[in-house]
This record gives sequence, structure tokens and C-alpha cells, in this order.
Amino acid sequence: MKIVNGKDFWAGVMFIGIGLGFMIASREYQMGSSVRMGPAYFPTVLGGLLAILGLAVFLRGFVSKIRDTLRVFPLRLPVLIAAIVVSAIAYWGADWIKGLGSAGNVIQYLLNAAGLLLFIAAWGPRALFIVLVATVAFGYLLKPLGLVLACVVLIFGSAWGGHEFKFKEVTVMFAVLAVFAVFAFVYGLGLPMNIWPELW
Amino acid sequence: MEGLLSNLALGFGVALSLQNLLYCLGGVMLGTLIGVLPGIGPVATIAMLLPVTFTLPPVSALIMLAGIYYGAQYGGSTSAILVNLPGEVASVVTCLDGYQMARRGRAGPALGISAIGSFIAGTFATIVIALFAPPLAEVALKFGPAEYFSLMVLGLVGATVLAHGSLVKAIAMVLLGLLLGLVGTDVNSGVARFTFGIPELSDGIGFVGVAMGVFGFGEIILNLESQAKGGAREVFTNKVSNLLPSVQDFKDCSGSILRGMVLGSALGILPGGGALLASFAAYTLEKKVSKNSANFGKGAIQGVAAPEAANNAGAQTSFIPLLTLGIPSNPVMALMIGAMMIQGIAPGPQVMTERPELFWGMIASMWVGNLMLVVLNLPLIGLWIKLLTVPYRFLYPAIILFCSVGIYSISNSPWDVLMTSLWGIAGYIFAKLECEPAPLMLGFILGPLMEENLRRAMLLSRGDPIVFFTRPISLTMLVIAAFLLVIVIAPAVRSKREEAFVAD
Repeated sequence: MKIVNGKDFWAGVMFIGIGLGFMIASREYQMGSSVRMGPAYFPTVLGGLLAILGLAVFLRGFVSKIRDTLRVFPLRLPVLIAAIVVSAIAYWGADWIKGLGSAGNVIQYLLNAAGLLLFIAAWGPRALFIVLVATVAFGYLLKPLGLVLACVVLIFGSAWGGHEFKFKEVTVMFAVLAVFAVFAFVYGLGLPMNIWPELW
Repeated sequence: MEGLLSNLALGFGVALSLQNLLYCLGGVMLGTLIGVLPGIGPVATIAMLLPVTFTLPPVSALIMLAGIYYGAQYGGSTSAILVNLPGEVASVVTCLDGYQMARRGRAGPALGISAIGSFIAGTFATIVIALFAPPLAEVALKFGPAEYFSLMVLGLVGATVLAHGSLVKAIAMVLLGLLLGLVGTDVNSGVARFTFGIPELSDGIGFVGVAMGVFGFGEIILNLESQAKGGAREVFTNKVSNLLPSVQDFKDCSGSILRGMVLGSALGILPGGGALLASFAAYTLEKKVSKNSANFGKGAIQGVAAPEAANNAGAQTSFIPLLTLGIPSNPVMALMIGAMMIQGIAPGPQVMTERPELFWGMIASMWVGNLMLVVLNLPLIGLWIKLLTVPYRFLYPAIILFCSVGIYSISNSPWDVLMTSLWGIAGYIFAKLECEPAPLMLGFILGPLMEENLRRAMLLSRGDPIVFFTRPISLTMLVIAAFLLVIVIAPAVRSKREEAFVAD
């Protein structure tokens, strides 16, 4: 058997995985009966149906008339290996790291975050990684650094994720957007946000 | 009839207040703007503005959000005609003949006829809502849990039938949506389901984050990826003159506009329906009826007028299931439910009797908004054209910024921003695997409702599922749902459907 439609193949894998995942996770909850359905009843049924449909899509990947490459996403093997190594350390080394005291908590947190980031960076286009990391950074920096500095991260980051990056252009764009954001969101709509870092 | 007139009078009284006129204007302008701009649609925009509407009175909030939706249908056609790029999904069909007209130097009449056709269709659709919503709401008041469950089944089947591409994948996406909707605290038992001990998940997965991530961020990343691979388009922006179509054009189009608006209004009411299906169906019909169908695809003005009339009518009548049954028929309507709930209004048939000013005010505002769109957009077309020449690399950082600020302000915590980013990844994967996100979105909204009604229905029938087939309204819905599935699977329709979506 040869996989002829990579998109169907991977979509099938995804649906089967999620369907089974929900069924397994539901086992923690009460099933109940058809008269009095417990919290596990509906998700178990839906998960099962999803897995069955996933199987159909999966099998179609072998017989489909439409040809699609199996490599739907670009994959970076070295990054993936790094992601697995870091996550393995974070998981199995958890007890040892905990022994380090308060610094251990920070290290554990950083290791978890690095593992997740590497997993995301291991596949997909450049834009996916850079733009989304810039967005998450914006979310976490908004309170401590204030809107303007968080905008620096977001605008430069997301512009860098595109295919054309001219420093001058992006600086002007940042200035315009930051001024607009401060006036529209903070003064105009009255959203409770710091404009400058908290210490100032 | 008298009741209708007094209701409409009440509605116009609300819609014509200065404040509501301003919000309506703001909504339609913003809608047109994002309709014109490729890469951001009404779903992401409404999701972005939801937190803002919290501070507005309910009527004004809904009027503005509705304006964004039908304004986007108007704007979408502008970029379809001038750049061959559908600014909004429903204007995919407009590209076919609209762009060809522009290439022949008839961009002006194409834009003109689409605006005028949309206005006529919008007026018609407003009347349809005013006439049909009240009787439907009366029927809906008799609904029990079994009827609601069957209705949701019908709505979800409708959504899958409409999805592009594979039917199996679309149904799988509905199931996935239903499952994701169940995450959070179970109302009956109080058990926190699938939360993995994360306290933020005990209230469920944030709906706005899903909508913005999948439809907003996913789209941006896809655009950036395809831009990196190159691909410029020819823009016809410099020679748009004389927007008014000639008398001959009007003669050619009057039939098309009429057919488009009737078909569009009918298809919009269907659960799972809306603007997209309406425009496809209207184009196909027009091609069938036309004497010179060979002209289609080569700049036939009927090929612009009919789908434009249909998508505008469909966009408006898709409010009917929302207003009468409380069931969303597409992702935008699902967001409208979110907006109503934020305002403390439970969507459903009781809205019409308990909050008549809200219901009729919104309907009246649709007509007012349509009028504004015609009056404003014809002179403003130059501005929209200028916007179209702004390169994407200036647009998307701004879109990302507005999305991020909007999502952050939902609960003033980075959690929602993080979730939205993760949903952006999911959206990208779905697009790559050709899994349509709209059915997922509907399932997501309906998940908890469906479970609740299923439980109640089964409790009342003492665990006998036959209850769904013995109650007449419930049975009717299930039969329609089965019928829809059968006709989609039928080989003849199947090939036609694939043909229609290939144009995308």
C-alpha cells in the first residue's frame, strides 16, 4: 500500500488521535446511563464517531484519486531532535531540578517553554513561528513593559516574520501604530493598560 | 399587517436615533474596510470588537456588529472586481465576471451594479425578515429539548453540506468542534472536563480566541507563506470612471437581481446557510437561465449582479435562525450569540416578545445600513481603491496588533493571547490539510447546548431515543437533515458541488 494523498493521510491521523484522546480522557468521568447521562457519555460517543470518520479519511489517503505529497509541512529534523531532547530533560529531570530550590522552578519553567517553542519551530513556515512567538510575547510583556514597548516586540517581530523587512519602513509603521494604539485603545476606549513600564 | 407596520415603526424609531445611526455608520464603514482588505474577514473583526461592545447598550452593539457583517459583503466585491482577490469568501464568485469586466475597462459599471443590486436585495431581505421572523418565533416557542436537538443536528448537517471539499472531513470537523465545546465545567455534574488541571480552562475554551486564531491568525500566516513563494496580481485601480451602469445594463440585470435576491433570501434562512452558498447558487442559476451563457466568465454583467444580490440577501436572512431560534447558522452568527450573551440577553424566540425594541431596531437598522452603504460607497470608492494599493506588509502587523489588543482585553490576561496563538497554529494546520474551519466553529458553539438538550430529551423519554422520531417537528428536521446528506452524496450533485467549489 502506498500513501497517495498526504493531506487525507495526516487529517485522518489527526482525527483518529483526537477522537481516541477524548475517549480515553473521558474514562476519568462517570458514564451514567442513557436516561441519566454522566459527564463522560456525550464526549465518549462523539470521540468514537470522530475516530471512525478519521479512519475513513485515513484509508482514503491510500486510495484517493487526488495526489498530494506526504510532506504537507516542511519539517526541520535537527530542531525536532532538539525539541525531544529538551522535553525529555524537562520531564525526567523534573525531580532533580526541583532539588535546586527556587532557581529550579525558573529552570523548569524555561525548559518547558523552550521544549514547546522548539516543537513549534520544528515544522511549518518561518512566519508561523515568528509571528506567533511575537504575539505571545506581546501578551506577556504588555503588563510589565506597557503598551509602547510591547508594540516594539509585536510590530518588529511580525514584520520580520514576513518576507520583506526594511528597518526604516518598519520603524515608521511602529511609530504610527503605537501612537494610534495609545490614543484609540487607552484614551479612546479606556482599556486598562499601562502605556509605559510599570516602574516609571 | 398593522402589527407589522407598528413594529417597523418601533424599529425605525430605535434605528434612527442619533447614537444608533452613528454606530450603524461605524459598523458598515468598518465592515466595508475589512471587506475590501484581503486577509481579514468579518469573523476576526467581530471577534476583535466583542470586548469593546461590552460598554455599549445592547441595541447599539448588535446594530454595529450586524453592520460589519453585511458591510463586509459590500466591500468584498470591490476587491474581487478590481484585484481578482475576494476580500471576503462570499465574493469568490464575483471575481469570475467582475474582474473580467474590469479588464475590459468596465470596472465602474461592475462596481455600480453590485452596489445597486446589493441594495435592492438588502431591502427585500429586510422585508423577508420582518414578515417571516415573527411566525417562526411562535413555532419556536413550542420547541422542547427533542426539537432543539434535532434542529441543531439539521444546522450542523447544513454546515457540512456547505463546506468546501470533502464531506467526511467536514463532518469530522463538526464532531471535533462539538468535543472542544465540551471542555470546561459540566453543568449537570459540576465536573471539570478535559481541563488538565488548568484553572483557566474550567470556564471552557474561549470562543473569541478560537475564532480569531483560526480565522485571523491562521489566514495571515497562510498569506505570508504564499507571499514568500511569490505571486503578484494585476490591479485595475487607475481607470475607474463612470460608476453608473447604462440603461442597457439595467435592462440586462433587472431579472438577475430579482432571481439572485429571492434565491439568496431563501438560502440564507437555512441553518448552515448564508452568503457563501447564496452567491454560488445564484451564479449557477444565472448561467443556466441566460440566453448567452457563453459570456459567463468573460465579463457578463449578470454574473456580477446576481451573486452580489444573492450574497447580500443571504447575509441578512441568515439572522432569522439566530433571532427566532437562537441557533447560529454560520460563524458570524455564532459570534453574534456571544455578543448577546455578553449583554445578558439569552438568544431565542423570547427576544422578540421581551425585547421588541432590540429585535425590530436591529431589522430596521439593516435597511438603514444598506442605504448608507450605497450612498457612501459610490463616492468613497476612490478611498477603497487607494487602500487596495497598500502593500500587505503594512497591513498585517496592524491587523495582528488590533487582534492582540482585543483578545488581551477580554480578561486582561496573557492567557487568551496564548490560546489565540495556539489556535492560529491549529488554523494553519486545518487549512493545510484542507479541513474547513466553519463547521468546527458551529459545532464548538452548539456543543454544550446539544449535550444539554440531548440529556433533557432522554430524561423526559426515560432513555428511549425514539422520542426524536415521534415528535412531528423533530422528525421533520431529521428528515430534512437526512435528505440534505443524501442529495450531497448523490453522484450527480456531488460532481456539481465539486465543480462549484473548484472556482474557489
